[in-house]
Amino acid sequence: MTLLQSLSGTPLAIAIGWTLLHSLWQGIIIAAALALILLATKSAHIRYSAAMIAIFALLAACVCTLAFVMPQSTKEVRDFSPPGFPAWMVPIDASDRNIPNPLLSVILPWLAPLWFTGVWIFYLRSFLGWFSISGMRKRGVCSPPQHWQQTLSRLCTQAKVSRPVQLLESALAGTPMVLGHLRPVILMPIGLIAGLPAEQIEAILLHELAHIRRNDFLMNVLQRAVEGLLFYHPAVWWISRIIRQEREHCCDDQVVAMSGDAHTYVLALATVAQNRSTSREPAVAATGGSLVKRVRRLLYPEASRRIWTPLPGIIILIATAALTMSAWQPPQQSAQAPTDTPYMKWLNEDVVYIINDTERAAFLQLKTDEERQQFIEQFWLRRDPTPQTEENEMKEEHYRRIAYANERFRTPSAAPGWKTDRGHMYIIYGPPDEIESHPAGSPPREEWLYKYVEGVGTNVFFKFIDRSGSGDFRLVPR
Amino acid sequence: MPNDPPRPTDAELEILTVLWSIGPATVRDVHEVINRRRTAQYSTVLKFMQIMAEKGLVRRNEEQRAHVYEPSRPQEWTQKQLAGDLLDRAFSGSAKALLIGALSARKASKQELSELRKMLDEYHKGDK
Repeated sequence: MTLLQSLSGTPLAIAIGWTLLHSLWQGIIIAAALALILLATKSAHIRYSAAMIAIFALLAACVCTLAFVMPQSTKEVRDFSPPGFPAWMVPIDASDRNIPNPLLSVILPWLAPLWFTGVWIFYLRSFLGWFSISGMRKRGVCSPPQHWQQTLSRLCTQAKVSRPVQLLESALAGTPMVLGHLRPVILMPIGLIAGLPAEQIEAILLHELAHIRRNDFLMNVLQRAVEGLLFYHPAVWWISRIIRQEREHCCDDQVVAMSGDAHTYVLALATVAQNRSTSREPAVAATGGSLVKRVRRLLYPEASRRIWTPLPGIIILIATAALTMSAWQPPQQSAQAPTDTPYMKWLNEDVVYIINDTERAAFLQLKTDEERQQFIEQFWLRRDPTPQTEENEMKEEHYRRIAYANERFRTPSAAPGWKTDRGHMYIIYGPPDEIESHPAGSPPREEWLYKYVEGVGTNVFFKFIDRSGSGDFRLVPR
Repeated sequence: MPNDPPRPTDAELEILTVLWSIGPATVRDVHEVINRRRTAQYSTVLKFMQIMAEKGLVRRNEEQRAHVYEPSRPQEWTQKQLAGDLLDRAFSGSAKALLIGALSARKASKQELSELRKMLDEYHKGDK
């Protein structure tokens, strides 16, 4: 459990969590686009291609999202752009985390481990499933009657399949099926070849050969791989159904195109379905298109089909959209200026050492973000040694000092460098002219010398002592 | 039920498959079918079938000069036996999802089958 806990806090886990959340609305948009295409055309070929593109597009979107979110997530040093810019919305330190929705900030680190577990389970099952079907090429198979080899080669030529295809009768297969990509094998249930008229068998073989020519076995494996990564997403379930359905429709169309006879083919399908119901097959998850739908489409191609997305699917999509919306509330900009807005952070962290009381009071009086933005600009402008130039050397130097302090003076107890005593002095007075460092002393100590400090005097000393021995250097009061 | 024969091994399953495919046959017939897919010795096939007869997986009819063998149990029975393997059952869902075929992975229900028949009958009537 602690391994999962430590994994859940990492920048990668946070980034993956955000990616998973973003994938929800991305999937909805892609599914909506696909739905429009499905409404627009009846061509099974276009619908299949569109659905395949949709599922891979969603995967690509997730990869892009991850690449986009990762750098922000791994920034140890906060981004020092002008306040109000949301670049630091995704830091990793728990105290810095600025996630608007408190529920989300609790859930977010756990999304990645949960997702990872789900993917593992899915892939493990698929891998073992792969094992069991690979065995079907060898177990319980025998060659069909001799003349079918010639028929098969004739049909291969007709279907323009150049790869060597093996035809076998199988005791384990409940329906005709195709296995393999480079050396495909067609498995026919025992007795089917003997039991059906020759032209029906040929129609079925043409269907399988259509699958082979379209590389459907390989496409299906890739599809399952993507389904494994996006197993949680309802839009993916829907798109997968469409893919499987249209894949069969494409092959049905090709059979009719090649043989010119829809009726024989339909009879064959019906008989195979019939025989199958009487055979003992282990119960299986529901996938693929409905046989009735396919047959109706083949027998009555002119009838306009109702293209409807099932009601549960729509409900799931709406629920997902609602979930995403609620997680993405804009940050509250209330009149009371809560302590975790970027402006308060600017006040209390960035410029806390260099802002004077008058300025601070004035800033707290401001009501709108525009006013605050203007104040900040004026603040830096007042301190700009060269107001006529673009660069504000003072501001740059200030942030450089903060960065340096965070880098060099961070204590092991994870307090950021700018909060330490050394960081404090460094930020206000800049790099000392001389440093005398005794890290091995007991206790370890450091002495800083500033030759001249405006408003303080010359030869200003600061002494820091680490009494606890843990790297926590404290300023010795003078 | 009389003593059920044991689960067939892979080689025995192959022979049973041939018998289910071509019906009751002699060793020579079985060997010929097996030979089409991979080279096999006649004597090996003969030995296996004799062992299977002793195990009760096949029955031997000795009336003719060339003995005729037939499977002792129908194919469905053996399929059930094989599907009883825990591994197969646990992952059959994901296995089926990887297959491409003429029919969907899901079996057609009784309503779907009767609806199918009705559609075909109507189509026939339309033809005439």
